[in-house]
Amino acid sequence: MIKKLETNKKMGELLQEYYIRGLFEDYRAWITSGGPVEFLYSMGVYPVYPENHAALIGAAKEGVNYASISEGDGYSQDLCSYVRCDIGAIISGNSPVGGLPVPSFLVSANNICNTVVKWYEILSRTYDVPLFLLDIPFIRKEMKENYIDYVESQMYDLIKFISTITGRDFDEDEFYKTAVLSIKGIKSYEEVLRMGAHKPSPLTCFDAFINMAPIVCLRGTEAPINFYEGMKAELDERVKNGIGAVDNEEVRLLWDNIPIWYGLRWLADFFAEHNACLVADTYTNAWTFFGDLDLNNPIRGMAQAYSPIYLNIGIERMAEVVNKLIDIYDIDGVVMHSNRSCKPYSFSQYELQKMLDVPSVIIDADQTDYRVFSQAQIETRLEAFLEMLR
Amino acid sequence: MKEGLYRKIGYFCTFTPKELIHAAGFTPIRLLADNTPINRANAYIQNYCCSQVKGCLEKMLNGDLELDGAVFTRSCDSLMRLTDIWELNSNIPVYDLEFPTNIGDKSKGYFLNELLDFKKWLESLNGDEKITFDNLKDSIMLYYDLDKKLDRLYSLNPEYNLAIKALTSNPAIALDEIEKRLNHLNNQSMNEIEKNIDKKKAKILVTGSICPSTDIYEIIQDSGFSIVDDFCTGTRFFKSDAILPEINNMDDAMNFLIQKYFLKAPCPTKHYDNDRRFAYILEKAKDVDGVIFLLVKFCEPHFFDYPQLRKKIEEIGKKTLLLEFELPITSFDQIKLRINAFSEMF
Repeated sequence: MIKKLETNKKMGELLQEYYIRGLFEDYRAWITSGGPVEFLYSMGVYPVYPENHAALIGAAKEGVNYASISEGDGYSQDLCSYVRCDIGAIISGNSPVGGLPVPSFLVSANNICNTVVKWYEILSRTYDVPLFLLDIPFIRKEMKENYIDYVESQMYDLIKFISTITGRDFDEDEFYKTAVLSIKGIKSYEEVLRMGAHKPSPLTCFDAFINMAPIVCLRGTEAPINFYEGMKAELDERVKNGIGAVDNEEVRLLWDNIPIWYGLRWLADFFAEHNACLVADTYTNAWTFFGDLDLNNPIRGMAQAYSPIYLNIGIERMAEVVNKLIDIYDIDGVVMHSNRSCKPYSFSQYELQKMLDVPSVIIDADQTDYRVFSQAQIETRLEAFLEMLR
Repeated sequence: MKEGLYRKIGYFCTFTPKELIHAAGFTPIRLLADNTPINRANAYIQNYCCSQVKGCLEKMLNGDLELDGAVFTRSCDSLMRLTDIWELNSNIPVYDLEFPTNIGDKSKGYFLNELLDFKKWLESLNGDEKITFDNLKDSIMLYYDLDKKLDRLYSLNPEYNLAIKALTSNPAIALDEIEKRLNHLNNQSMNEIEKNIDKKKAKILVTGSICPSTDIYEIIQDSGFSIVDDFCTGTRFFKSDAILPEINNMDDAMNFLIQKYFLKAPCPTKHYDNDRRFAYILEKAKDVDGVIFLLVKFCEPHFFDYPQLRKKIEEIGKKTLLLEFELPITSFDQIKLRINAFSEMF
């Protein structure tokens, strides 16, 4: 059986506090998960994460309810289910957390997908609020200076954009402090994730998923630093006592793609019962990319750190990243979630499989829409894979 | 005809600056899925990818494409990933041109540098032979002429196969054919042409990404509609608000290319100030009786725009129909049935 971390409770409290705070802020910006939130925090703007909200709807197994509402409004079932869930929540004026607070403006960065450009255009029309699109070139191979110059110049535009709406000046010292906190938070998160390298691993990727909200939503504040230090202490204790997240850890696995939010519990139980531990994943590790920030020139540094993130690089570079994780965590096999909602993540997988140092298996599903999740099929496929790895 | 123009470079997006490819001595060929059944491609990309991407991949895997290069211009997530899948599984040299998503003055400098890099790649593909100013100017003039004449032809009597020919074969030959058609029409009196246009017909705007099958246009026309189109394989190929200036040097030429492609008929894979695409479609919709959204299944950029755009179109009193299709098209009868039913509403 799965062993719950005490940290999970603190996470719940932290997230509740974060959501409540949003109701009382003067300025709220909806922002994509790959957007440079540091600008918002340093200028006193509260960031709202529709992706996180949709994940929450998915984890509450409410995905189909909300997705259906947006489908009724004309959104195709083939579109990203995060968008369908959030639009469903907007139309119904409700969600498991009472919906998201109305935005003052929107910031969308297309380094995670081109979907967010369309998604935020829809939001901009829906709420009649301005949208800033941070246009980040795809770094398929080399990261050209021209790309960095382009992104850097938009960082200055973003500052002006926020300043015009809020009437607040950009304060370099404040931004520097936020950037430092951001890096500290990422480093402390990275230390937690790296605990998975221990044998047996004191955590599973499911623990990482459940506890990822602070690094996404609160990056650039003190909160994630303290939170992940606490989480690490709990994991240290497990390591000291030789307690693994899974009993009799026999197989060490890596998860690829966004979690299957409604299936977390079932998957966690399934792997635990088979003495297999998903010790790491490509998804939560993606946030560690933001840590490569050059503080000597933090604005250009932001452009450099936010451009070559995991979903915005070519397949060969992705393979290097995954093989490095395979090495760090001493992985036996990779479980790939072919996710109907995320094309840039999934369409690389068939090629990646050929380039990885260990065997892999693909399971077909969706991040929040459980209508495309076939438990029996997935079970058979995973059992055969685990059998092969032993 | 230059000998080099027998060499071909395939491209996937109508925002690819064809003039540079042509000036480097290659024929730019827009790659389109056709009647090839999709089989092998399923082992390289998931089944929830659109059939335009899968169909082109299938043709490449089958060895049906004799290309000297393939250009992937930034547009959607599926094409972004196809770039690597293509490169890893073929010997065709691949280039990804990072067209800005944000179309505006601020991305012009960035795009100029991207164009200069693209030019270098084309030159390297042509044995390091430089693209000369004269060649580039000639190619710009050729395509400008082609665009304007296609525009004129479409305003008189659209022939959809000619636009498709212009984007999938040697532009000089296509231009020749278009000119012949225009001459033919010019020889007819305006009265005769107008007589051929049945004024009782309901006028329909058909919008979507690609429509490589002219059969669909025929079905729509046979149902009693006259058509205005908004496709990459039609109007979006040749329509741009850019005006040809005097081009005296390489800088002028490159600046014109930026102007031309930034002022091109808008596409949902790009982001425009003041919601230019919606404004453009709504403007076109004003003069028609109804709008058909003819969308390739799994085409995210178009499907994301659809619900809000449909509402706005219906708010101005126009009827709409959504038709989804996959390539190869096996459901002509179904399409026909739905269009016929739609025509009953007029």
